[in-house]
Amino acid sequence: MSSLELHHIEKSYGSYHALRGIDLTVEQGEFIVMVGPSGCGKSTLLKSIAGLEPITSGTMMINGRDVTHAQPGDRGIAMVFQSYALYPHMTVAQNMGFGLRMAKRPKTEIEEAVTKAAQILRLTDQLEKLPKQLSGGQRQRVAIGRTITRSPEVFLFDEPLSNLDAALRTQMRVEISTLHAKLGATMIYVTHDQVEAMTMASRIVVLNAGRIEQVGSPLELYRNPDNFFVAGFLGAPRMNFFAGRVVQVSTGHVTVQCPLVEPFDVAVVDNAKLAAGDSITIGARPEALGIGSDGGFPAKVHLVEHLGRETILYADAGALQTIGSDTGTGNLTVHLPDVAPFTKGDPVHLRFDPADAYLFGGDEQATLSIPKSI
Amino acid sequence: MPNFWRQHRGWIAPTLFIMPAVVLFGVVIVASSVQSLWISLHDWDGMSPMHWVGLGNYQELFRDPQFFTSLKNNCIWLVVFMLAPPLGLGIALLVNQQIRGMRLVKSLFFIPLVLASVAVGVVFTWVYTPGFGLLALVFSAFGATAPALLSDENLVTFAVVFAALWPQVAFCMVLYLAGLNSLSDDLIGAGQVDGARGLNMLFHVVLPQLTQVTFIAIAITAIGALRSFDMVSVMTQGGPFGSSSVLAYQMYEQSIFSYRFGYGAAIASVLFAIMLVFIVWYLSRIMRADDRGA
Repeated sequence: MSSLELHHIEKSYGSYHALRGIDLTVEQGEFIVMVGPSGCGKSTLLKSIAGLEPITSGTMMINGRDVTHAQPGDRGIAMVFQSYALYPHMTVAQNMGFGLRMAKRPKTEIEEAVTKAAQILRLTDQLEKLPKQLSGGQRQRVAIGRTITRSPEVFLFDEPLSNLDAALRTQMRVEISTLHAKLGATMIYVTHDQVEAMTMASRIVVLNAGRIEQVGSPLELYRNPDNFFVAGFLGAPRMNFFAGRVVQVSTGHVTVQCPLVEPFDVAVVDNAKLAAGDSITIGARPEALGIGSDGGFPAKVHLVEHLGRETILYADAGALQTIGSDTGTGNLTVHLPDVAPFTKGDPVHLRFDPADAYLFGGDEQATLSIPKSI
Repeated sequence: MPNFWRQHRGWIAPTLFIMPAVVLFGVVIVASSVQSLWISLHDWDGMSPMHWVGLGNYQELFRDPQFFTSLKNNCIWLVVFMLAPPLGLGIALLVNQQIRGMRLVKSLFFIPLVLASVAVGVVFTWVYTPGFGLLALVFSAFGATAPALLSDENLVTFAVVFAALWPQVAFCMVLYLAGLNSLSDDLIGAGQVDGARGLNMLFHVVLPQLTQVTFIAIAITAIGALRSFDMVSVMTQGGPFGSSSVLAYQMYEQSIFSYRFGYGAAIASVLFAIMLVFIVWYLSRIMRADDRGA
């Protein structure tokens, strides 16, 4: 039995469609991370699961129980809000026990649950304090503690770490992952931070404009994005894209041409439906671009970011028609796994292995190159 | 000169800006209060020289049955006015719903706020008019005869307070509406997820967020009840036989109609002392809140 099933969830505000036919099945114990750009509907979807946002159509099951029209408190869910949403007039212990109190559970049971949650989250010394006396990280832990005490079937997290500073965020990320392992509970986590998505998820759900673009393990999504959007959304720095054209179609592969680069062969999927002359988008991850003193194609260093163990190079390759680059047309991002002695204005030669390239084409900008090994 | 300005602008500018308020407050409030206290120790008709009587006015006051009637009426005002905050909250919760046409309903509830209290008094005087007033019509629809509220010495104060309650409830409603709009959606959401519904939601999640609003509503309502004057003046002039008078009206009546400025000032001083309790409570709360905020 699945922990959570969403069948064709639709949500519209007048003529605006926030969610368009969301289908998703989550197994018991999974850690699902929903990512997507602002306004993609990820928070709306989470609030719909919580019952805080009514949906227009579709059905929702939690542990086999239809909860489409159930009240938030009756769904067997608990939620951590971005703003923590702690009750400011209640102590930490009262905050954590409030759900049980509303469920009219006996006092001893509430105390027991609060004590246990406080132990897990190292809040035992803070139980009598008010939220305003706590630090950001502690408030976050109280918000999580409030969900634990209710032992829900599904935990929901709405961008819980976005109000914390970078160091604390890393720490809480580890704590939430540890908590997930310890409780073995189903968790659904919304974020716009792809590091959180990649590091915490057992499966990532990529949302865009109210639709699910792709669902899969972090590595699956990173190595084999279904389409241009997912390829561009996951990975930092972002995948390089440039415009190209099909010059020849053979069985199993096509020959592709783009400015500056010699025509090269890319293995494509069977149903690629490409013909000579078709415009396509070529993608190459920053780490797939190599650098040399000759060969490949010439470019000029535009900006260097020295990150210690690694170096990010932004290079200008004039004639190459890059698409949606972070830093403007003509710019390629190169990720070098070491210290690199480049400075602005240096001429470099870039090259990539066609086996590492992605092809995107057709109306949907679907991935046409064959899947890569993980 | 520019050098002088640069060295001293740290205190010159704030002083200049605060000055008008200080002067105005000093003249209108502080000086007149002190002068009023001074007058209360004299026998004075407003024209001839003042005659020192010490605490004589106060001694007379505490033997004056009219003073105790007024004091009792002020207490009635205070108690009945305390209905305004909860009623205002109830209406605010009602009109805060996202229902079509609610904007119109909301603006209807706003109306008494834009009416002059004199107009409210006149409207209610008509409502209470025996024979053809709205109240009389309602009673006659049930075959009964409406009591002549404004000429019944036992009911008259309640009738006046009820009229004054109307704008006061609207005022509290506006305060609560503003408070409700500033509530965090997430907090309500958290309450819903925790299973709080209906009254539980109201008492455990919503109202605790509105304590500051509730405090302001109660304090302002209390002070409004104590300084009530205009409705009494318009609807009854304290009558019948002073039975609906309040301290503020009695003070006015004694000073202006009976030319007993000293006696009126003594009433004013007692009223001031009563109000001081609420004002000190209000200010200390506000200052404590400021300290916490800083």
